Amino acid sequence: MKTICALLIKQCKDSLHNLPSLMILIIYPVVAFIMITAMQDEENMGDIFIPMFAAMHCSFAPLVISSNILSEEKEKGTLRSLVMAGVSRIQYLLSLFWFVLIAVMLTASAFLLMKPVTASYAGNFACAMLLGSAVSAVIGMCIGLHSKNVTAANGIAVPVGLVFALLPMLGQFNSSLSKAAEFTYSGQLRTVFEGGCFTAQTWLVSVAYLAALSFLLVILFRRKGLE
Amino acid sequence: MTDSSVIRLREVTRSFGEKQVLKGVSFEVSKGEIFGLLGPSGAGKTTIINILTGQLSCGGSAEIFGVSCGKIGREVYRRTGAVLDNCGLYDRLSCADNLRLHARIHHVSFSRIQEALTQVGLEGCEGKKVKALSKGMRQRLALARAILHSPELLFLDEPTSGLDPATAAEIHALMNSLRKSGATIFLTTHNMDEAYRMCDRIALLSEGDIAECGEPAELCRKYCSNSELSIVTTDEHKLSLENAPENAEAIAGLIREGKLKSIHSSEPDLGTVFLRLTGKELDK
Repeated sequence: MKTICALLIKQCKDSLHNLPSLMILIIYPVVAFIMITAMQDEENMGDIFIPMFAAMHCSFAPLVISSNILSEEKEKGTLRSLVMAGVSRIQYLLSLFWFVLIAVMLTASAFLLMKPVTASYAGNFACAMLLGSAVSAVIGMCIGLHSKNVTAANGIAVPVGLVFALLPMLGQFNSSLSKAAEFTYSGQLRTVFEGGCFTAQTWLVSVAYLAALSFLLVILFRRKGLE
Repeated sequence: MTDSSVIRLREVTRSFGEKQVLKGVSFEVSKGEIFGLLGPSGAGKTTIINILTGQLSCGGSAEIFGVSCGKIGREVYRRTGAVLDNCGLYDRLSCADNLRLHARIHHVSFSRIQEALTQVGLEGCEGKKVKALSKGMRQRLALARAILHSPELLFLDEPTSGLDPATAAEIHALMNSLRKSGATIFLTTHNMDEAYRMCDRIALLSEGDIAECGEPAELCRKYCSNSELSIVTTDEHKLSLENAPENAEAIAGLIREGKLKSIHSSEPDLGTVFLRLTGKELDK
C-alpha cells in the first residue's frame, strides 16, 4: 500500500506539471461552465449541458490520460526503473487506475456546482461518473499496454475516446446513432447524468464493458507485460 | 556458486527472433569486486544486464544472490541498484522529487536524499527540474537514485558514455568509494581505458560469447607479451618496432643519423587483447 501511495504522490506531482493532461481533465467542466454561463437567459441550460459534458468527461478524460501516462512511462524507461526498484506491475497498474479515478472524480465534482442538485442526483451522478471512469481507464490502460510510445497511444486513444464521448450526444440528432449509443457505457450513463436512475440495462451494459475490458487487459498484460 | 559469488551465469542463451544474441555465456562475479563486461555495441552487454535484473528470460542458468533471475522479487531488487542506458527519470519532476519517489519505495529516510545528491556532486540541485539538467547531471542523478538505498550490487550500463572527461572522472571516483564501502559493481562499457583502470576483473564479450575473462593487467600480459615502439622520423615516416633487443641497433642508427623525431612505447591494452582474440576492434 505504501508503494501505491508513493506512486500516487508521484503521479499527482507529475500531472500538475503536465499541461496537456491538466487540459484534458478540466476541459469538459470548463466548457460546460462557459456554455451555461453564456446561455443563462435560457432556462434549464444546466440540464442540457451538464449530462452532455459529464458523459464526455467520463468517457474521454480517463481513457486518454491513462493511455498517455502508461505509454509515456514505457517510452521514457521510467516504468522499467520502477520495476527494478521492486514495484510490481500490478501495483503500478493499480496506482494508475486509482490516480485516474481520483483526478476525474475531483474535476467532475465541478459539474455539481453548476446547478442546484438533490442528494440522490449527486449520489447517482457520482456512481455513474465512477463507473464510466473505471471503464474508460481500463480501455486507456489496454491501449497504453498495446502501444510502444505516446504518439502511437494517442493515435488510438483519441479516436476511441471521441467515439464514446460523442456518440451519446450525436444520438440526439439521429435515431440510428441513438440506437448504437444504447450499446455503449457512455450512452447508458448519460441517462443517469440526465437525472434518470440506474436501470438493469445501465448496469448490464456498463458492467459487461468493465468485465470484457478487464479480461482484455489481463490478456494484454500476460502477453506483453509492461514492456 | 561460491559463497562470495553475487552473480552467476552458466551457459546463458538468449535469442531475439532468429538471431541468437547470447550463445552460452558463463561467468561469476564475486562480492565486493568491480566486474567489467566489455564488448562492442550490439555484443549483448545490455541483454545480459536485462537478464540479470529479471527483465528478460533466458536459457541456461542466471542467478543473482543465489536467486534465479526469472524469480527475482522485491527482496532482491532492494539489494540492487541500476543505472541503465536510458536514465528513466521523470523529466517534469525535480531532482529531489525523483529521489523522494524511490526513497518511499525503498522505505529510506528523506535525509538520505541530500546525502546521495552530495555523493554524486549534485548538491544544490534539489529543486531543479530534470528536464533542465545536462546529460552528465542526469547520469549523476540516476546514479544518486541507484545508490539511495545503499545497494549491495550496482549495475552500471555504460555510465560514462557520452560524458565529458571531468564528469566521467567524478563517476569513477564515486565507483571507487562504493567499492571501498563493500558494494559489488557490474559495469558494462566499451571504453577499454575505463575498464582497465576501474575493474578488478573483466569479461570480453564477442558475438554472444565470452572470449576471455580475467584481471585486465593479466590479460594484457597474456596476449601482448611485448610492447611496441612507435617511431616518427624527421621526414615524417612512421615506424612500428617491437620493443626487443634486436631492434636496439636500428633505433640507435636513427639517433646517430639525426633522423629520430619522436619515439613512444605502445603499452599493451585491452583493445589489442580484444583485437587479437576476435579480430575485431572493441570500440567499433
